[in-house]
Amino acid sequence: MAAPLPEVTIASAVPPPLPDLVNARQLRAQQLGRALRFWIPAGFLILMLFMCFVYPRIVSLPSPTNGNIIQASEPPFSPGHWLGTDQIGVDIFSQLLYGGQVAFEIATSVTIIGIVIGGTLGVVAGYFGGWLDPVISRVLDMLLAFPALVLALVLAEALGPSELHVIWALSAFSIPGFGRLARGATLTVRGLPFMTAARLSGTRRWRVIARHIVPNILPGIVTFSLLGYGITMILEGALDYLGYGIPAPEASWGSMIASGQLVLSAQPEYVLIPSITLLITVASLNLLSDALRERWGTR
Amino acid sequence: MTDALLQVEDLRVSFAVGRGEIRAVDGVSFSVSPGATLAIIGESGSGKTVCCRAIMGLLPARAAISGSARLRGGELIGLPEAELRMHRGSDIAMVFQDPARSLNPTMRAGAQIAEAIRTHRQVSKREAQAQAVELLRMVRMPLPERRFHEYPHQLSGGMRQRVMIAIALACRPKLLIADEATTALDVTTQAQIMELLLDLQQQMDMALIMISHDLGLAASYADEVVVLYAGKIVEQAAAVQLFGTSGAVRMRYTRALLDAIPHLERPAHALLPVVGGRPPDPTALPPGCAFAPRCSHAADDCLAKAPALLEHAAGHRWACWHPCENGTGSGN
Amino acid sequence: MSEQAQALLSARDVVQEFVVRQAGGVRGGVVHAVSGVSFDVMPGETLGVVGETGSGKSTLAQAILQAPRPKSGSVIFRGTDLTKLRGRKLLRARRHLQFVFQDPFSSLDPKWRVRSIIEEPLIAYRTGDRAARRKRVDELLDLVGLDPARYARRHPRELSGGQAQRVAIARAVALEPSLIICDEAVSSLDVLIQAQVLNLFERLRGELGLSYLFIAHDLALVKQVSDRVAVMYLGKLCEVGPGESVYQQPLHPYTQLLLDSIPSTEPGAARASVTIKGEPPSPIHPPSGCRFRTRCPRAADICASEAPPMRELASGHMVACHFPLAAPATPATSLMKEAAQ
Repeated sequence: MAAPLPEVTIASAVPPPLPDLVNARQLRAQQLGRALRFWIPAGFLILMLFMCFVYPRIVSLPSPTNGNIIQASEPPFSPGHWLGTDQIGVDIFSQLLYGGQVAFEIATSVTIIGIVIGGTLGVVAGYFGGWLDPVISRVLDMLLAFPALVLALVLAEALGPSELHVIWALSAFSIPGFGRLARGATLTVRGLPFMTAARLSGTRRWRVIARHIVPNILPGIVTFSLLGYGITMILEGALDYLGYGIPAPEASWGSMIASGQLVLSAQPEYVLIPSITLLITVASLNLLSDALRERWGTR
Repeated sequence: MTDALLQVEDLRVSFAVGRGEIRAVDGVSFSVSPGATLAIIGESGSGKTVCCRAIMGLLPARAAISGSARLRGGELIGLPEAELRMHRGSDIAMVFQDPARSLNPTMRAGAQIAEAIRTHRQVSKREAQAQAVELLRMVRMPLPERRFHEYPHQLSGGMRQRVMIAIALACRPKLLIADEATTALDVTTQAQIMELLLDLQQQMDMALIMISHDLGLAASYADEVVVLYAGKIVEQAAAVQLFGTSGAVRMRYTRALLDAIPHLERPAHALLPVVGGRPPDPTALPPGCAFAPRCSHAADDCLAKAPALLEHAAGHRWACWHPCENGTGSGN
Repeated sequence: MSEQAQALLSARDVVQEFVVRQAGGVRGGVVHAVSGVSFDVMPGETLGVVGETGSGKSTLAQAILQAPRPKSGSVIFRGTDLTKLRGRKLLRARRHLQFVFQDPFSSLDPKWRVRSIIEEPLIAYRTGDRAARRKRVDELLDLVGLDPARYARRHPRELSGGQAQRVAIARAVALEPSLIICDEAVSSLDVLIQAQVLNLFERLRGELGLSYLFIAHDLALVKQVSDRVAVMYLGKLCEVGPGESVYQQPLHPYTQLLLDSIPSTEPGAARASVTIKGEPPSPIHPPSGCRFRTRCPRAADICASEAPPMRELASGHMVACHFPLAAPATPATSLMKEAAQ
């Protein structure tokens, strides 16, 4: 028989899988490991969010955009400037925090747009099929084929660089990403018997989507969104570095790196500080994504 | 019994799980003579699969195994992996339930058989291929030369199982363990495969251990039957002593199994004599007989103390304080 | 026909086909899963459908439910042809027809709790307010032998196979259906649990006046549960008749071979000396004429050229074969008679 048949597997009493072979001590160690793998990255991200959004409101910081040229190039741990100042006297710590605000805002917006628009398109394509599926898939493919960075450059040139334009440009990347993921996950879930059972129970289609499909694809979307979040932050940083993102003098990690680049050998900390911060943030996002995937298993 | 091919004595396998210990196999002893067929019957969680994997050395290293399993006198338990690998395939082979998952989907069927041959013997590739085709012929695969070049997904369930058997037979093992090998097959295919196994047994003087939950299969094809429950043997006898017109099942669990199986002779809509409850939790086994909580004839002594497996009649052992009379449960 | 007017479910010439798409979406062939199947289910009866892999029995069940709609044929349920209905009308007509799947765990949404699962059909058909629904769910759980206090809040993964199947049954019974289609509903359960669930089916049959279309591959199981039995092979019906008749006096060679293949509980008894030959043919290229002819010991030329029609040879007992088996008992049936004595 050449072609695969729609076979009905004759299932029977399948023996349960062998239990995980760990003794009590190993079990505790495993649970501890699992908890640490979740809480360490989560904790770091919570700390970052706190520092970027809450801390500046409760502590008065030097301006992140205007500096006193007299206090230029102060080293770290100088009085009043925890991390020092850059070549034109702008406080580095403030730049870091306000730059972080922008980074999180943009990444959050892009991710939410991706989930809402891309996710909806994907679920619709996957659930309804028919002519909707190929049409939506081609639209998503077109968006995906579009180089997001080039789009950002074009927008910046044509309309002037701004936070909003960066969000539009990067959304062209996140929408198809979530779209394809949602479509694939929806197709998988749609074939399962409980979906047929739900339809046989008489549940209306919209309710089926909202209460059966969405809860079951949500774990995959959440873990993907964390990874996407990190990628978006890096892309945004790249745009700022090139000067096509957040316009100067607004603080951003990318522009910090760009300006720090000029004095890399003399004062490497101007480049290292934002770079390492970005690195640890994205790494935490990835690790958190892994920890969640571990926790949720293949459910 | 001294010329038994496989002699298993007091086999125990347990796993440490968190707070407790799972005694998957709790003192199992049996023997298999050369060329004979033994059926190990049990439901999920009875320990039947763990038992045979312990013999084959296929359990993870952290399983605590004690007892003895001697193949032609040579001890298998505790043997280092390298020596076990020599036994596997050439002395003992195993066939599993789901050939779709046991066969490599990216390798052609014939290549997998040839690989099995070359693992144990120094033969050239060409020679191995020729032997593989011969094996396919021996397992009655239609058009063996063509099937040799096909991938597993191109074959039906029955054909895949034949390939599995061919791989298992590659080096003429003395003992074949079939772990639910026909469970996922159609009734007609199952009959074909069982006939095939029996013929091969005769041809190659090979012993067969059938692991199954199907008592009917055991009755038809086995010489001797061992029934497991919660890791212990609860009844053990020759098939003729248990089934059919001259048979008498004694232990209540075996009786329950036999009653629960649909019989052709029963009238339509007959209510089955039902055993309530669920298989026991392996981490929390009751102190007395493991089946007592579900047994309709359980008495106080059943709950207090576990019955020992004793040979109450010639060649027929059972572990029950209140066994069935005359092979029928009273009131059935 | 007055017979048809009385039947609860009446299927006529149901045909279902699937297009096989090879890599790249190229049309590779058509699977003739169900090719012209007709049968009736009378109120209060259980019709068993027996068939092996590739027989099309599960596809038939799905076609009856219109999920998906069969390519052609009619399915008349309680007087209405389901094949002609769409949307809301189909939902209304289908209310009294329910389904129990083979694998309980994939037929229950893993993210939902037991209570919501059983409540779903009640919500969809808007039966009663919240309090009434809650009460009904508790009733249903009791009916299937699960304590509401302990099980209503659980997720499917916290249930055993038998318990999960009971939840599926409770859901199926929620809307007081007339007919329940059970597609291998007990095949994935342990033997002892299987017996419990079968008894539950029987009890519900009596208490709720249900009819069943019971699909399975286990012949003895089907015979025990059914009043009448239908045997399917490669998308066609071979034989239909009262259970006792079909098993004591099988008319179709395939039925005989199926019976012979069942392991008998008489050790060393005459095992099927006639095990079935060959491999099942592909449903993409079914044999011409009678589809069983390639494996039939009685095949002749006419079997290749002409598909045998369904004929009634004994009271209520129909067969589609050019050379049906004669009445005298064959080895397998005589053994059964002995054992029954």
